[in-house]
Amino acid sequence: MDLRIRFQEELSELESLALGGLDLACAQLRRVLEAVEHRDVALARDVVAGDDALDELYCELHERIIALLALQAPVAGDLRLAAALLHVIRSVERMGDQCVNIAKLIPLDGHHPPTHPVLLEELGVMGRLVCAEIEQSKRAFAERDMQLARDLIHQDRDVNELNRRVFQFAWESGEDPDAREWAMHMVLAARAVERMGDLAVDVGEQLGFVLTGQFEEFRDASHPSPSDAAPSV
Amino acid sequence: MSEPVVQRPVLAPDAPPAPDAPASLGEPVFRLRGVGVAYGGTPAVRDIDLDVRANEITALIGPSGCGKSTVLRCLNRMNDLVLDARVGGQVLYHGQDIYASHVDPVEVRKLVGMVFQKPNPFPKSIFDNIAFGPRVLGMKGSMDEIVERALRRAALWDEVKDRLEQSAYGMSGGQQQRLCIARALATDPDVILMDEPCSALDPISTARIEDLLLELRRNYAIVIVTHNMQQAARVSDRTAFFTVDEARVGHVVEMDATERIFQNPADPRTEAYVTGKVG
Amino acid sequence: MSTTRIAPASQRERALGGLFRAALLVSVAVGILTLVWLILSILIEGGPRIDGDVIARFPSSNPELAGAQSAIMGTIWVVGLTALITIPVGVGAAVYLEEYADRERWWNRLIELNIQNLAAVPSIVYGILGLAFFVRGFLGLGQTVLAAALTLSLLVLPIVIISSREAIRAVPDSIRHGALALGATQWQTIWRQVLPGAIPGMATGSILALSRAIGEAAPLVLLGGLTFITFNPEALDSAFTVLPIQIFNWISRPQEEFHVLAAAAIVVLLVLLVAMNAVAIFLRNKYQRKW
Repeated sequence: MDLRIRFQEELSELESLALGGLDLACAQLRRVLEAVEHRDVALARDVVAGDDALDELYCELHERIIALLALQAPVAGDLRLAAALLHVIRSVERMGDQCVNIAKLIPLDGHHPPTHPVLLEELGVMGRLVCAEIEQSKRAFAERDMQLARDLIHQDRDVNELNRRVFQFAWESGEDPDAREWAMHMVLAARAVERMGDLAVDVGEQLGFVLTGQFEEFRDASHPSPSDAAPSV
Repeated sequence: MSEPVVQRPVLAPDAPPAPDAPASLGEPVFRLRGVGVAYGGTPAVRDIDLDVRANEITALIGPSGCGKSTVLRCLNRMNDLVLDARVGGQVLYHGQDIYASHVDPVEVRKLVGMVFQKPNPFPKSIFDNIAFGPRVLGMKGSMDEIVERALRRAALWDEVKDRLEQSAYGMSGGQQQRLCIARALATDPDVILMDEPCSALDPISTARIEDLLLELRRNYAIVIVTHNMQQAARVSDRTAFFTVDEARVGHVVEMDATERIFQNPADPRTEAYVTGKVG
Repeated sequence: MSTTRIAPASQRERALGGLFRAALLVSVAVGILTLVWLILSILIEGGPRIDGDVIARFPSSNPELAGAQSAIMGTIWVVGLTALITIPVGVGAAVYLEEYADRERWWNRLIELNIQNLAAVPSIVYGILGLAFFVRGFLGLGQTVLAAALTLSLLVLPIVIISSREAIRAVPDSIRHGALALGATQWQTIWRQVLPGAIPGMATGSILALSRAIGEAAPLVLLGGLTFITFNPEALDSAFTVLPIQIFNWISRPQEEFHVLAAAAIVVLLVLLVAMNAVAIFLRNKYQRKW
């Protein structure tokens, strides 16, 4: 029985470490968006360096999950959880990569690029929404709450709408080449944030697999429903 | 000499299938309905409903003492050997109840073969071991051919063809068990019952026998009782999970495709057992 | 840090062990040496008369001319007939009790209990029984070889049954189950698997039984073996005598030569016994199974 207890404890620990990675990703997102707002190149460099921690977490958890599969041969619920955690840590690692993508944009504009306050504000709102999404996905997974997981798709629609608006603003950003260049970078940043939101939804989908053994996509990219056009925030 | 009462149905090659007989792949060879067994008045299993299909391997899993072997022995009436065993319910073999009063258990055992947990070759030569069944059954044909066919089917021919006259006891444990499988095949049954056939064997012999089972599945229906869940998962097509209730009477909790039982079982008790939290 | 040492056996332990071994050796020695001394003394005493004559000649009041042929042939006839009667009956009873009888039934348990008792009944009682039912009374066979064989069969039957049952029990159930699972009937299983496997044990048991029969004198005296028989038995209804009786007859005579003859006859009896044992050992080895 001791062996079984150790196995259960290991699986639990892997789950909480994987979900803890979501917190780290959220923190990275907040920092990088602050760096964008204040054009803080030093902070941007910190964010890039901080991604190492996320990569190491990914490697360690990946190794431990594979070891669990090899040595313990889990089945049924345990197997589905282990498989889901492999996806979750991948999502976490990609969230980290998106933050790095945003951080790398900042030094390119020099220290005093022309900025558009509305654009910055929209970006900030997106960041807060996505952070909330990530936290919600973490809570849903930990508490095995399918309702909460499904709800993520609604918040993600808001994020998608904001992303479209950012693009619109950038399109209409005027004649100044520096301003236009900065605006394009903001579009890329917004895209990265929107991707992070999608990754949070993925975590929710993995919860569905853990609970039911079926994999259900919360939204189908090739069949956008009319309600994808979310009401304005 | 009268025809034996229990028969395997014989279908002409191009005859249309009988109205309520499903296609030959997956047709139930055995149907158990409401089967219960009691030893000396104490119930051992109750309410057993399960199907065994042709060309499939059906595994019976569950903790010790929940009646898997008891149910297995119902299928070839070996429970009759236990003095005060009573079997209730219906055990239908190709639609015929093998516990009907006019049925001779000996006839049933000619059609349903069995391999035991510990290899039990007879203290005779390899040839005489295989030939015993056909001889007592009065099977026609060249005994040499019958023996060779059985040994080939059990993937043992090449290893023993030059020493058929030697004692079966000179073989290793894994070979002896394959000999017992060949012996059961020699009488040309259509179902093979196996009661933990590999539990006394080393992993390599076990693997060889599992390979053999996958081969045999093409021609026989196989029912295997096993404590080794990995084995059930590797080898079987469908799995029935047994457990005991509060009165210590065994019953089937869940029976489904093996993939489902080991990936996403419906009943929490099944989940608890296969993940090792219980039993 | 303490080192782990294997402690040497204490002096006392070793002494007790040695003493125990010595005691066991003495037991073995006593048995064997006594036997050897008995056989040697018989051989020495009977020495002068161990020749073809003791086998070729018939009893006579003249010790020079006497031999034990009638007794030897009588023994062979009686014991041979006994074997023919008691072995099939005993094995059959053992098979019934082990393979067919339901142990829960009261009559089967009664039978089991009484077989043990019958083995302990003194042989003279069987003699009386034989006299009443076989010689006189119901069957009225008279003082014949057949009556003697029937009586001795009853006498040794319990031994045959008990040892055959042990031999049948020694065949593992896994063999029976294996045969039955192939579709053999109970009878086929017994005849083709169980009995062949039980032959060694049954052979040993039969020899034990016949060894007892060959040495019986008292019941056969009652059945009419104590007469001056000078002919060999020729048919089942012949009169007879056996070696133990003849030996007793000669021992009772005053002449010393008859005592020597008696010793010679004992040697012949021992040779017959050894011959019978050899047959049994041969059978046992031929059918020996290693489970």
